Amino acid sequence: MFSATTVTSTEQRIGQALDELFEKRGAEAADTRIVLSAEPYLDTAGEALRRRIFLTRGEGGENLCLRPDFTIPVCMRHVAQGADLPKRYSYRGLVFRQRADGPGEFVQAGIEDLGEDNRATADARALADSLAGLEACGVDLDRLDVILGDQGLFEAVLRALGLPEGWQRRLIRTFGDERALEKALDALSKGAEDILSDLDPQLIELARDREEGALTRLIRMRMEDAGLPPHSGRSPGEVASRLIEKVAVAEARLGADALSTLEAFLAIDCSLAEAGERLGEVAGPAGLDLGRAMTVFETRNLALQAASVDLNRVRYRAAFGRPIDYYTGLVFEARLKGASDTLAGGGRYDRLLTMLGADRPIPAVGFSLWLDRIGHCLDKGEGAQ
Amino acid sequence: MSLTLAIPSKGRLMEKALATLDSAGIVVKAGETRSYRTSVEGFEGLEVLLLSASEIARELRDGAIDFGVTGEDLIRETIADPEHTVEFVSRLGFGQANVVVAVPDSWVDVSNMEDLGDVAGAFRARHGRRLRIATKYWRLTQSFFTRQHGIQSYRIVESLGATEGAPAAGSADIIVDITSTGSTLAANHLKVLGDGVILKSEACLIRANAVGRDPGARSMGDELAKRFGV
Repeated sequence: MFSATTVTSTEQRIGQALDELFEKRGAEAADTRIVLSAEPYLDTAGEALRRRIFLTRGEGGENLCLRPDFTIPVCMRHVAQGADLPKRYSYRGLVFRQRADGPGEFVQAGIEDLGEDNRATADARALADSLAGLEACGVDLDRLDVILGDQGLFEAVLRALGLPEGWQRRLIRTFGDERALEKALDALSKGAEDILSDLDPQLIELARDREEGALTRLIRMRMEDAGLPPHSGRSPGEVASRLIEKVAVAEARLGADALSTLEAFLAIDCSLAEAGERLGEVAGPAGLDLGRAMTVFETRNLALQAASVDLNRVRYRAAFGRPIDYYTGLVFEARLKGASDTLAGGGRYDRLLTMLGADRPIPAVGFSLWLDRIGHCLDKGEGAQ
Repeated sequence: MSLTLAIPSKGRLMEKALATLDSAGIVVKAGETRSYRTSVEGFEGLEVLLLSASEIARELRDGAIDFGVTGEDLIRETIADPEHTVEFVSRLGFGQANVVVAVPDSWVDVSNMEDLGDVAGAFRARHGRRLRIATKYWRLTQSFFTRQHGIQSYRIVESLGATEGAPAAGSADIIVDITSTGSTLAANHLKVLGDGVILKSEACLIRANAVGRDPGARSMGDELAKRFGV
């Protein structure tokens, strides 16, 4: 299937082992094209991808790209074909990305698990299958660092601390981007009066008094003056209500206690087996009720144990996430101890399928394995069993 | 043995570039109208070409010319890694303009990038599409929004001219564009965000990567660079 120049014999061997494993685990192999429309990628993962993918133009001016990953085409194929759910799709093949440290084409394999309403089971299955995949390749699991994060818990902590919604959204957006999160926390602890300094005092006054109607009229007039099209883009009411929120947010402070609780939460980095206890130590004294998110977390841990994943093998890091807005809950990564290259990565992306045109929300979780990196480690004898 | 230097082929940029060369003792006479060749006095073996400013950036990237006078904005937009690909010999003190992020001035709730991040993050849920940015600077935009400000959710609409009209035309929500006085932006009811200056650009003398050039041409290039204070 692949030319010998790009795929080593080790990669071929582990590829076959994975095909067998995925079939045994009940996933259906999904074919996708190599040349794809770039729009869904730029639209969901964002413009940051533009410099990392191989982009070209079709004759009609449309943006095309060489397949940068499998998740999006597999999900789009599902949306187009409308198969019964739940369903698990497997894939293995070349993906193409511009990277400084390796060739622009490499092989990935993985499973996308769509429509399973029991999220704990599906999450656990994704992590268990990715570890089984690494093992089937010949990687010694004892030599791996497996890290797990959960955006749901972070969101629950913010809610429980009673932050204004504008702040919750801003912090959630930065989750997984350490530098941006730190900056946002800093602004939140200091408060930010200067944020309002360049605003018209009349507008601030109206916003403080929550005069949404008057603000909307003012803004509508300005929009009409500028000749902005009235039915596309931000409406006057939308700008007015965000201004009110902005003023409320600027005047909100995070108390020292709340900030230290949030920081203590974000600092949690322990084995998954101890995570429940550590979370309790942070939430308990602060009187935080993490509610459903905690139940989800604990149910998932039980499901992981049921799927024979040793919780002592997995590290829970509270601050670990991905700052892409279709990721919603679980994220995980596996790499060799002390190494930086991810060998396997996955997560839950409940928001992606509706973005790609599904007519109702479809829960989804998946993982992919980097066969070139795995093959490389094995050839060097670094991760072998 | 010869060395090529390209300068902008029209307008004030060309005049100023000619004056700069003149004060370095290099007298360039533009040929007949529409000719892109020139006659050069004051530097043996130097050939001066007249090209469009954006073409000069591309030719420098590809190493097709040895030197070029063009805007820093075009260099940073055209070349992925300018620090390693070309050398900034001298900033020439003309052609000053800023590449900026500008939003409709009726967006009274948006005065900095943090605000814009909030708006972009919530845009899709409300409007069923990403926030659209009209620009001809996709590389600068992407690195400013994503790398510097951690904003992921937006779409770039490539614009080839009259970018400032895009919000009123409904083809984009905001713009990233170059401005010298800001008057065009103001006339179009756009305001620059407080921390929305992506780049303070001016005309620069740029030297292409000299790797692969023979030693003779290289020392000639060094000589030329010296005339500009290096």
